[in-house]
Amino acid sequence: MQAREQILKAHEDPEGSGPESVDHELRTVLPERHGVELVGAVALDLLNTGRELYSVFVRTLYYCVNGRTEQGAILAQMYAIGNRSIFFITVSMGFIGMILVRQGGLQLERILPEYSLVGATFLELLVRDFSASIGSLLLATRVGAGIAAEIGSMVVTEQIDALRMCAADPIDYLVKPRFLASIIMTTCLAIWSTGVAYLAGMVTAYVSFDIAPRTFANISLVDSGDLVVGLSKCVAYGAAIPIVASHSGLMTYGGSEGVGWATTRAVINASLAVIILNVTLSTIGFLIFK
Amino acid sequence: MSAADANAGGRPSRPAPLPVLKPGGPRSRRAHAARPAPLPSPGVVESAGHSALNIAEVVGGMGLLAGRIFARVFTLRFDGEEFFRNLHRMGVRSAPIVIVTALVTGAITVVQAAPVVERLGAYGLLGWGASFASLREIAPLLTALMINGRVGANNTAELGTMVVTEQLDALRVLAIDPIKFLIAPRFLAMVLTLFLSTLFADALALLGAAYAGYALLGVEPASFYIGLTGGLLGFNDVAVGLFKSVVFGIVMGLASCQFGLAVKGGAPGVGKAVNSTVVATAAGIFVLDFFVAFTFH
Repeated sequence: MQAREQILKAHEDPEGSGPESVDHELRTVLPERHGVELVGAVALDLLNTGRELYSVFVRTLYYCVNGRTEQGAILAQMYAIGNRSIFFITVSMGFIGMILVRQGGLQLERILPEYSLVGATFLELLVRDFSASIGSLLLATRVGAGIAAEIGSMVVTEQIDALRMCAADPIDYLVKPRFLASIIMTTCLAIWSTGVAYLAGMVTAYVSFDIAPRTFANISLVDSGDLVVGLSKCVAYGAAIPIVASHSGLMTYGGSEGVGWATTRAVINASLAVIILNVTLSTIGFLIFK
Repeated sequence: MSAADANAGGRPSRPAPLPVLKPGGPRSRRAHAARPAPLPSPGVVESAGHSALNIAEVVGGMGLLAGRIFARVFTLRFDGEEFFRNLHRMGVRSAPIVIVTALVTGAITVVQAAPVVERLGAYGLLGWGASFASLREIAPLLTALMINGRVGANNTAELGTMVVTEQLDALRVLAIDPIKFLIAPRFLAMVLTLFLSTLFADALALLGAAYAGYALLGVEPASFYIGLTGGLLGFNDVAVGLFKSVVFGIVMGLASCQFGLAVKGGAPGVGKAVNSTVVATAAGIFVLDFFVAFTFH
């Protein structure tokens, strides 16, 4: 309201300096949303983003079945997603394994110092949840940022438009290989990080609490339900991360600052997607496989 | 049209054709000879050394930047208006993400502890177990990761864009110290944001855990609360979580400012810098998490 009056006044003013002042007013005033309008705008934004994500996801699935195959594209993406992340994932999951066992052991010491099931419980937690979820959070930051930065730069330098002019759908050419590669690599990296975290936990248990490795290495508590839940989480996260990141990358606008924004949005949305899928799948798994 | 065809009619034959040169003529043959041989691809040792040198460069840069920032922060010589502006942008605008993450974190902790609790029948201990894990480990960690994804990446992108569009050089030309004017306020804002967000997230995680426990296991919120305040948890646990958040904030601030300032190469360079920031901060968070947990039982 205020903005509009200011602009009208500048326009009517007979002693105003003409077009420059009106332009200046138009540039500097952008109405801020408050209250109900803000809530409505946020909700509509969320709905639109949800619709666009659904569209990207469905089109990716369509091109998985009906698309053109490019020689070696999926393998190249598997290298970029999996092999390039392995050092980062190994270091982080190793430290997580050490922290979890140490904290758990300290708390157990306070209640009842009976250490025979520590290894078994730890493995069950890892398989069921932690290696998939924490590994995917790390991958969401690394892979999500990488995909969004790459695709965002391609949008800004008009390569996506060039692709469309060559009658190649960007989703077929860019998103589909990353989608398939990510599902495979997330599963592989989750299995690898289970092993790494378990070994790190075994070393910590031996050093801090004198639990013999043979007592720690106990797989009796891991059942088929845990395995199913863990693997379905891997597949879900591996599917979600490239879809969300590619969507953010394809919606880039505005030059190098836009690429930065796209990368930020990709990391946040991918992390949120992993966390929300985690809660959903954990709850469903808990209710089904009691 | 070879020379044999021309000879068949008895006409004088063409001279023998010259020896075949490379396409393009004699000049291109010299150019071909002068082109340098392609470099051999780096071996394992060379790429390991390269990575080590890169890591050393980044960590060294962060250390130097830390020295410069702390010199200005501890003598209170930084721009207050920029500080408050960034505090609003980073802290207030991240509040929705922190809320969602914290509620979900509490729920996840309860869902993970649920099979163990049901197996041992220890419903009264759910309050203690879920809140211990949340307050000490999971709330600071997940809050730091989410805020890193938003605030750290955004800060690197902004600083990177400023470097690429030569605005930092313009500041130096105007005799304005960029660290005092831009970097130190942002660093302090990031640390304070993470500290306050972790405090907020702690409370919300406990709330989320209480209601998830009620929904999934039928544990009344009242008994959850008794488990919380029963005496097994102390201020120590909250304090360790908050100390972790300050350490994570320092890592996040230093990494994002360092990578932002070291951007080269236009829009793809900014994208790469954001990627590096997010990865380096996440790795630093996990490593420091272990060391803090190790130091403070």
